[in-house]
This record gives sequence, structure tokens and C-alpha cells, in this order.
Amino acid sequence: MFLSIEPDGPVPIYQQIRDRIVEAIAGGRQPAGSGLPSTRQLAVDLGVNFHTVNKSYDLLRREGLLRLNRKSGAVVQRDASSGPPSPDWAEDWTLRLDTLLAEAAAQGMPAEAIIAQCRAAVAEFAFPAEAEGDAPGHRTAIEGRP
Amino acid sequence: MSPGALAAVFAVPFYGALLCVAPAVTKPTVQFGVRIPPERTGATVIGDQRRAYFRRTAVVGVLCTVMAVLLAVHGSRWSPMLVVPIEVAADIGCLLVARRRITAVKRAERWFAGLRPTVVADTSWLADPPLFPVRWLIPALTVTAATVLVGVLRYPELPGRLADGFGAWAAPGHRVPKTPVTAFALVFAQLWVTALWTTIMLIIYRSRPDIEAADPAASVRRYRRFLARCSTAMLALVTLIDLSLLLAALRNWQVYRLSGARQADRSGRPGRRPVLERRPDLRQPRRPGAHGRRAVRRRLDLQPREPGRVAAAVRDRRRPGRAGHHRGAHPVKRSAAAQNMQVP
Repeated sequence: MFLSIEPDGPVPIYQQIRDRIVEAIAGGRQPAGSGLPSTRQLAVDLGVNFHTVNKSYDLLRREGLLRLNRKSGAVVQRDASSGPPSPDWAEDWTLRLDTLLAEAAAQGMPAEAIIAQCRAAVAEFAFPAEAEGDAPGHRTAIEGRP
Repeated sequence: MSPGALAAVFAVPFYGALLCVAPAVTKPTVQFGVRIPPERTGATVIGDQRRAYFRRTAVVGVLCTVMAVLLAVHGSRWSPMLVVPIEVAADIGCLLVARRRITAVKRAERWFAGLRPTVVADTSWLADPPLFPVRWLIPALTVTAATVLVGVLRYPELPGRLADGFGAWAAPGHRVPKTPVTAFALVFAQLWVTALWTTIMLIIYRSRPDIEAADPAASVRRYRRFLARCSTAMLALVTLIDLSLLLAALRNWQVYRLSGARQADRSGRPGRRPVLERRPDLRQPRRPGAHGRRAVRRRLDLQPREPGRVAAAVRDRRRPGRAGHHRGAHPVKRSAAAQNMQVP
């Protein structure tokens, strides 16, 4: 997996690292059980501070995507095939999605274009083969929307 | 010119050529240590500075080679090695000049304006690291094992004193007593060379690639290919070094004799002196004290000699200052006095 960041970008570096890892997990490039480099090694590779990578890993750990172990290091804990997410997380994600879609609508983006963008993004994710297009987590989040 | 001086002279053009072509093997997006965008790799200043660097380093290499040859002819055998640091420093100066001029143009024309710098890391390096080609280590270890085997078989028959060193590092005529350390010195050298280069290659294998953000996958593929070829070439080189040490060991252990030795033996003429000619006094172990008794007998002129040796002794006595002549005492009188002595 190639993890790219923009040191001079508007998004904080720890957030960029976290986003890239989440995208890799969703795309199947970093499945559950696979290891990530140590915080020190990744900090050296990216040329950033050790605490920056530590902050990203800690964020992913609190979201339940990463398991930090002294022996095995950072390991991906769950992916698209790991079952539905917790209801609390789905609710929080729905609120954030609303805000994101509202931004597009406020900027004058047509509804068809918004839906097409969403479909294109979802098409790049690696859902389990037997439940492709009908992932439990995906259905739960969509159906749970008011 | 001694072999050591010749090796030192050859080091100068070798390092010069190596530094001269160094920019040709660097990445297109990093020229003289300056990172440039992919669309600027064909900039005029880069081509000009590469040509200028080539010309400057070529001139430096030629001048340093001439200087090394002069030092080798008129100085000691190691003095040409002093030229190498001077040459490397001059070439680094040429590199810094080119680097400064490219950096100046890069800043003036703002090559990175409108581009977002991106840093890429490959997290799969941990899960799928490149494998060290262990099978390329087998030839070097086989050669070393063969050297040990030959050495063990030859060790009981070796003379009491062995040649010291080999090749350019051989001290002419210098011999050391036979011990396991001196006899197997070249085996230790083989083990040292093999272990050193294997360790260096293992350390290099732990390094991470410098990934191009524009095409990370291709740059990682290139780095993996570079590692594989570099390690293969290095281990092949180690095998050749071990092989040369094996040949040197066979010569030191008198498994074979160089050309010239056989001719000298057959013709009886001195001719070309063989490197591995065994000294006559090493063929049979000498009894302790025998040399001292023979010297006393020869000095007292009591030992029976062959006609040639007697003539030589008489000739020596006629020449003051040579062996067998003592100032202030007539040889005839000394000989007469010595005849009355009882020598055991």
C-alpha cells in the first residue's frame, strides 16, 4: 500500500495519514489482520514527527479499525467483511455524511452528480463477494437515516 | 614500479571514472542532489551542467592519474594513494558547482510553482520485503570450504617457514614461521571478505526505497530490481575474490609452481627466479646447534671443504674486510694456532 500525504496541504498530516489508511482498508489493500509499519518507521518514511503518526494510529484505534499491540505492532482490526459497525458509529457517520452532502448541494451540485460521485466512490471499495452491493454496514447506515 | 604502486596508480583513474559517470546512474528527478519536477528533467541547465561536470571531472581524472604515475615512479609505492582523496575532493567540488547552478535556476524559474509536494511511503515493504539471494552465497562458501580442505591436507607437508602476504602486499623474501594462523591467513581473509560483503548487503536490504510520488509503483519495482542485481553482482564479486585468494593460497602452500621454476630446474641455469622456489635449508629440519658448530669450524678453518669453497675462503682472506679475514693477524699464523686447538 502506498501512503501519500501532502505536508503543505490544508488538512493536518495526522488526519491525512488516518484518511489514507481508512481508504486502504475500504479498498481491500489493507485487509483485516494485516500489519502496518511501526510509528517510528512510518514517521521516518514520511519525514514527519513520530508523535504525528502516533496520533493517527491512536485515532484509528479509537475508531476500532486498528489494534495496537506491543508484540505484533499495529494491525488492522476490521474491514468490509468484518460485519456491521456499532450503532453509535453509524449515527455519527450519518451526521457527517449529511454535512458533506449539504456542502455539495449548497455549492450547486446537481443531485444526479452527487449520487454518481457516491456510486463511483463506493464502486472502488472491496465489499465481500457474496454481499457485494448489499454490505451489511452499508445497508444499516443508509436505512438508519431519517 | 612495484605491484603495490601499480595497484595504487590504477585506483586513481578507477575512482575518477566512477565519479565521472555518477550523474548518469542517478534518478532523472534528482540531479546533482537537486530534486526537480518530472517535466523539468530535460531543462537546458541540467544538460549543460552534466556536460560541464563530465568535462571537469575528466580533466581532474587525467591530471590526478599523471600525478599518481609520477609519484609512483619517483616516490614510494603507497604515495599514489594520496592522490585519491585529492581527486575525490576535486570531483565533489565539481558536483557542488553543478548543484549550485541548477538550484539557482530552479529557484529563479520557480519550477515547483503550482505543484503540491507529496510524500509517499510504501507500507507493504514490511509484509513483502525483498528476499536476500542466499543461493548466490553458495559459490563463495564452496570456494572457501575447498580452500580449507586443501589447506588441511597440505598443512603437515608445509615447510617450517611460509611466504608472508600475497600479490601487491607480499613482502619480498619475508617469511614467517608456520602456524595455523599464518598458514590459514588467506582462509581467514576469505571468511572476512564474505562476511563483510554479506553484512553490507543485508544492511542495504533493510533500507527503504526513495519513492517517486509521480509513479510510486514503478519506482518501487525499480528499487527491487536494483537490489536484486546489486546483491547478485556483489556476491559474484565475492566469489571471484575468494577464488583469487584460493589461487594465492595454493601458491603459498606450494600446490603448484609458477612458470620459470620448472625451466630453472631442468636447465640448471638460474634464469627466471620462481616465486615458489623452496629454500634448500627448508627441505630438511636442521639439528639445533649444527649451524653454530659449522660456523665455528669454518671460522677456525678446520672443516674440510670442497675445492670451490676453499678457493672462495682463500680469496676472501686476500680481501681485507671480507669474511674470513681478521685485521692484525696473519691467516697462516691463525690457522697454525687453530690446529693446536681441540674442537669437539
